[in-house]
Amino acid sequence: MLSERRGVRGVVGVSLLSCLALVATACSGGGSAASTATRGVTINVALAIPSPPKASLAAFTKSTGITVHWTNIDWDSLQTKIAAAATAHTYFADATDVDWSRVGQLSKLKWFHPMQNYVDTKSLAADMPQMTSFTVGKEVVGVPFDASFLTTTVNKKMFADAGITAMPRTMAQYTADLRRIRSKGVVDHPLDIPFAAAEGLSTYWYQATAAFGGTVLDTHGRPRFTSPGSAGYKAAQWMVDAMRQGLVPPGNINTTDSQGTQTEMAKGTVASVFSDYSGNVGSLYDVPSSSTVVKQVGYLAPPGAGGPAPNLSNPDGIGIPQAAKYPVAAAKFIKWFTAADNQAAFAGLDGPDKTLRTYSLPSRLSAVHKLAAKGDLVGASAMSTMLASGTRPVFPGGAPSWYPQFSNAVYTNLHAAATGSLSVKGAIKAIAGTANRLASGS
Amino acid sequence: MSLRVFRRVRVRWLGIAFILLWSLVPIYWTINTSLQSEAQAGSKPAHYLPPTPTVRNYSTLLGGSGEVSGQIRQSTANIFVECGAATLVTVVLSTLAAYAFARMTFRGRTALFYGVLATMAFPAYTTLIPLYRILGDFGLVNTYTGIVLVYVSGFLPLATWIMYNYLLTLPPAIEEAGLVDGASRLQVLRHVLLPLALPGIVSATVITFLFSWTQFLFPLVLSTDQSTEPLTVVIAALQGQHVVPSTLLSAAGVITIAVPAVIAVALNRYIVSGLVSGSVK
Repeated sequence: MLSERRGVRGVVGVSLLSCLALVATACSGGGSAASTATRGVTINVALAIPSPPKASLAAFTKSTGITVHWTNIDWDSLQTKIAAAATAHTYFADATDVDWSRVGQLSKLKWFHPMQNYVDTKSLAADMPQMTSFTVGKEVVGVPFDASFLTTTVNKKMFADAGITAMPRTMAQYTADLRRIRSKGVVDHPLDIPFAAAEGLSTYWYQATAAFGGTVLDTHGRPRFTSPGSAGYKAAQWMVDAMRQGLVPPGNINTTDSQGTQTEMAKGTVASVFSDYSGNVGSLYDVPSSSTVVKQVGYLAPPGAGGPAPNLSNPDGIGIPQAAKYPVAAAKFIKWFTAADNQAAFAGLDGPDKTLRTYSLPSRLSAVHKLAAKGDLVGASAMSTMLASGTRPVFPGGAPSWYPQFSNAVYTNLHAAATGSLSVKGAIKAIAGTANRLASGS
Repeated sequence: MSLRVFRRVRVRWLGIAFILLWSLVPIYWTINTSLQSEAQAGSKPAHYLPPTPTVRNYSTLLGGSGEVSGQIRQSTANIFVECGAATLVTVVLSTLAAYAFARMTFRGRTALFYGVLATMAFPAYTTLIPLYRILGDFGLVNTYTGIVLVYVSGFLPLATWIMYNYLLTLPPAIEEAGLVDGASRLQVLRHVLLPLALPGIVSATVITFLFSWTQFLFPLVLSTDQSTEPLTVVIAALQGQHVVPSTLLSAAGVITIAVPAVIAVALNRYIVSGLVSGSVK
């Protein structure tokens, strides 16, 4: 009997202790308080790119007293970690990735420190055209550290083989050229559109919408694509028609954007990607181990309704999570990481020892100009021009906080339209319905 | 054989063939892709057999001194440490808990037992954020201890259920004989019951290990760098934002499923007996 009483007391005691521990955890601030120290501290930086060269980081440590512990995490996993840590109010890193498409959400949820409190973002804006993609109202959620944007790539040899001497500047010319390539038998299906129900399909539609002279949403987040004469409607119709008319490989119904560029454009089975990623020529198509079309592919300003269309921004940014231990030190690092000289060096200006592997294009115009002047950038002239004057944010009012649900509706319905299970009109109606519902907050 | 019996047998075999194809073709395709070069894997029409089989993807992952092979080696060690420790702790605790529930009488036993089992009904992911916060406060994020504790908390109820049902099948008279001979409860448990309960322990061990091995989201969130990331997380990280190395991913997938596949094939009867224990009286 005595041992049973002890057993019961033990169970009750352990239960009470567990409850106390849980209550203490629930009431705690979820992490230690932030420090303004910048000397003799170690900050954690988590990004989806490899670390800058050790010598560069050592130089930064020497000049600032800040040691950087770099973690390279794949992009999708990183987003999951950021969301989990922010939701749990738990420290994860001092500086990490800011995804442009979630800027609205991030601003609303207050997951990141406003960067304008730490960096002179106003003076940076002129040299960083894509800063607007990270700005919501007056708040700058992150600072772009590269200048990824959407652009058109063409296999110049295939265009030439089809007898095309002048590159297209309008959508009508572009479509006619693709038909010509097909009819001449250069390739069976010349255009890559990744019709798998995934984010890449949404992004493609945004760029095609820009080509037809419009934007998907207005500054209040309301749909601008419902009328058949609107740019978004025309873009959806053009994409689905391209599939039905055989310009797009039939297998692309289940192809994602990366699969398309890797297995079709890089293997020479298509002649063009209308909405490709800046940097792919240098990092994918001109790399012999991953491509059979080396030196055949070039950038083209996206054809538009009456001339070249804007390039939609798709940059990567870096920001300071609210739970950061050393936000001031993190801000110092961000200033260093996005400095023009360092960006140019990361892109290869100062030789391979200072190059950051997989780094595509600096976010600072001045750094791009330096690279272009030295001839170190594939397609430098076109890239420089597009970055300086062609890039636009996908959403003029900033990415809405409900972007993930909207994007889901976009790619699900456009995929359905491409399979034929839904008309373009039906797909547009469904997407608009979702956008209206989300914008109204219901 | 009558026509009706013939048809019934034919339908049965067709069903078996369909299920086998449904299950095995993806595994075959993964192995097939892993033995090709990236160019061969991306070619159209697809190769149903590797045209020139190569183990280059495996040597990239397992051999050499490159960054990827280093990650794979580290994450392989991590997954063994985390799954091994979680399995050990879970089996020890579940055996003790199951013994208490099966053999001891104390107030609230039934409620406590069903309370433990009821935790299995919670969707695991609803506990992710609270667990993250708790581990964060105790400084256990990105540690083996933190990940093992989470695994143990997740798999303990099932292992307890398996052990409980197995212990119920053992006649109490054996245990009573030991007690009459002057042995303590722990001595009876250790020297009498545990040897008899070995098949149940093996079942609980195998099932817990396999469940731990396949974890992805929890270790993804609870580990912040490669020092604790298991193989399942690192494989996903091989995929770039714009580039998917399908052959390398397939080889990594084959490596990841190799260990559980061997365990599942070798100890299949224990898995089945563990999962169905208690289903019939």
